[in-house]
Amino acid sequence: MVGGATFGAVALLPIGTVAPTVAAAVFWLCWVIWMPRARLKRWRWRLTDLAIELRRGVFVHHHDAVPYFRIQQIDIRAGPVDRLLGIAELAVTSASAAGSATLPGIPAEMAPELRQELLLRAEASLGDAADEARDAV
Amino acid sequence: MRSEDSGVSVERFSTPRRLHPASILLGIDVGQIFQWGLVPLVALVTSSGRAVLVLIGLLLVLSPVIRVLDWRRRRYSFDGAELRIESGVLSRSLRSLDVDRIQQIEIRRKLLHRVLGLAAVRVETAGSVSEPEVELRVVSESDARALRTAVRAAKARSRAGVEVDATTDADDAPGAGTDTRGERVLTVPATHIVLASVTGARLLVLPAFVAAAVQLAGDAFDQFAEQADQGIEQLGRAAEPLLGGGPDWVLAALVALVFTGAAVAVAVVTGLLRDGGFRIDRVDGDLHVSRGLLSTQESLVPLARVQMVVIRRNWLRRLLGFATVSVRSAGGSAGAGGSVTVPLVPDAAIDRLLAELLPGVPGVPDLVSHPRAALRRSVVGRLIRSSILVGIGITALYFAGWLGPWTGGALLCLLPLAVALGVLEYLNLAHGTTGLVVASRSGALSIRTEVAPLRKVQAVGGSAGPFQRRLGLSSLTAHVAGPSAQLTIHDAGAARVAELHGWLTARAARPT
Repeated sequence: MVGGATFGAVALLPIGTVAPTVAAAVFWLCWVIWMPRARLKRWRWRLTDLAIELRRGVFVHHHDAVPYFRIQQIDIRAGPVDRLLGIAELAVTSASAAGSATLPGIPAEMAPELRQELLLRAEASLGDAADEARDAV
Repeated sequence: MRSEDSGVSVERFSTPRRLHPASILLGIDVGQIFQWGLVPLVALVTSSGRAVLVLIGLLLVLSPVIRVLDWRRRRYSFDGAELRIESGVLSRSLRSLDVDRIQQIEIRRKLLHRVLGLAAVRVETAGSVSEPEVELRVVSESDARALRTAVRAAKARSRAGVEVDATTDADDAPGAGTDTRGERVLTVPATHIVLASVTGARLLVLPAFVAAAVQLAGDAFDQFAEQADQGIEQLGRAAEPLLGGGPDWVLAALVALVFTGAAVAVAVVTGLLRDGGFRIDRVDGDLHVSRGLLSTQESLVPLARVQMVVIRRNWLRRLLGFATVSVRSAGGSAGAGGSVTVPLVPDAAIDRLLAELLPGVPGVPDLVSHPRAALRRSVVGRLIRSSILVGIGITALYFAGWLGPWTGGALLCLLPLAVALGVLEYLNLAHGTTGLVVASRSGALSIRTEVAPLRKVQAVGGSAGPFQRRLGLSSLTAHVAGPSAQLTIHDAGAARVAELHGWLTARAARPT
């Protein structure tokens, strides 16, 4: 019944309007359904000996590295929906605003542990540096 | 003697001081006026009557009182380790700034400041993004210089644990110029400033101003255009005997010539006013940069805080053998603090200047070209973008009824131009590294060379789009501290970028 009405409404529209509308709808569906899965699939992060590394991006592949020595701040953020789903976002900031790393959607209980681990590694890397070099900026 | 002078400088600021009383009037923030004026303005527009008058009257009475209270409550002090600023009338705030965090300190003097012997001091830290961390809007010139010297001496002491030459002209007469007795690094002669003005974006000041004025005039534009037409017609009649009754395009050329002349004159005057007397001195590991004829600006950039040096050459300057050099520190507000731009440097002097800005670096390192695949990407990318533009242009001309062999042909000429620019872009693409710096060059007509010290690299990013991946290319970004400060190596080989990524990360993780 509803499908018939929709078809009727679409049939009333000129073909020049229907084609772009259908294309836009298909694109939007792909974007909403396929894109988040693809992004999640591409998201990788790891702690190496020197830095926290991220690999991300569906079309443009990114590979970011923020050395522990350069960490200025670590934030854990969780919005209402995140809390409902039991996830959190961990943001590692260096002295360069553009050169920061964000891990979205990590398990909420894992975030404080990860922050602690990063802080320990940052402290250890500072200890290795010579006095003059300890100033990261 | 030196340490005594330094001590006197610090002692002068050890007890909290107020700004100069002139700050009651001169220290008014334009943004604040807007905020305060917004309410009565809205009230004025939306209603009328006694309430609005009362509101405006209240503001007129309250504003001076608040300004005086603000002046009485705003105090600053410096004990050699911390710069402290107390302020606020109703809500009080106390800001402490560790001397080690200071990236840049500037003394600015507008014409009125110079007449009254005053100055504004701006202190930038790595954290400040859009505004300076601390701004002392109106202090006496001697206080400004003494404070800068005290901060400089304290920074140097903290950095190296040694006493520095803190002999200053703190008590010198106003207008004595920079308080440095260091080594002159660079002076930009007036001829170079004129050259910089007529070969750079400053040439667009007048056209931009005219365009903005026309835009603002809005409805009045038609009337203006009509009058301009009449004026030009009259001018044509007057010039007829001179031009021998030539066609209209002669007159148009004459008008264009006069307008170009005016644009050049405006560019030269604004350039000289802004950058006249440009010089850089080096004192105890700090760069002192002074510039300006009417309004002056003196910036102090610690050499250890230089994050990146950018050398820019547009095609005109390249032909003439000159470049513009920007020095980026981590300090905040882009355009003002955080970046000092030398208006024009001869090509031959670039390496020497770079050696001064980045100690131990003999000049721009040897750069290597990128793989041939980058040529393909550059040409195809530009061809696609310009084809879209040409397509839109031709469609618009067709519907407007203006499409003809000349207009269509002119648009199609953009395609070979795009190919030529793509080739040029590829020829300029290059990067290089040494044990101390990483460098990158890019651009087609206007070439940009970026040089960043390895020890300032904060984070490393690599990226590869679908087309880059098909061609085996990749880009690399080295992030340094400061607003949008980053060095990008475009379209290098993917394997090379992976190797550089690891190497730069290791260097950033363990600076030596």
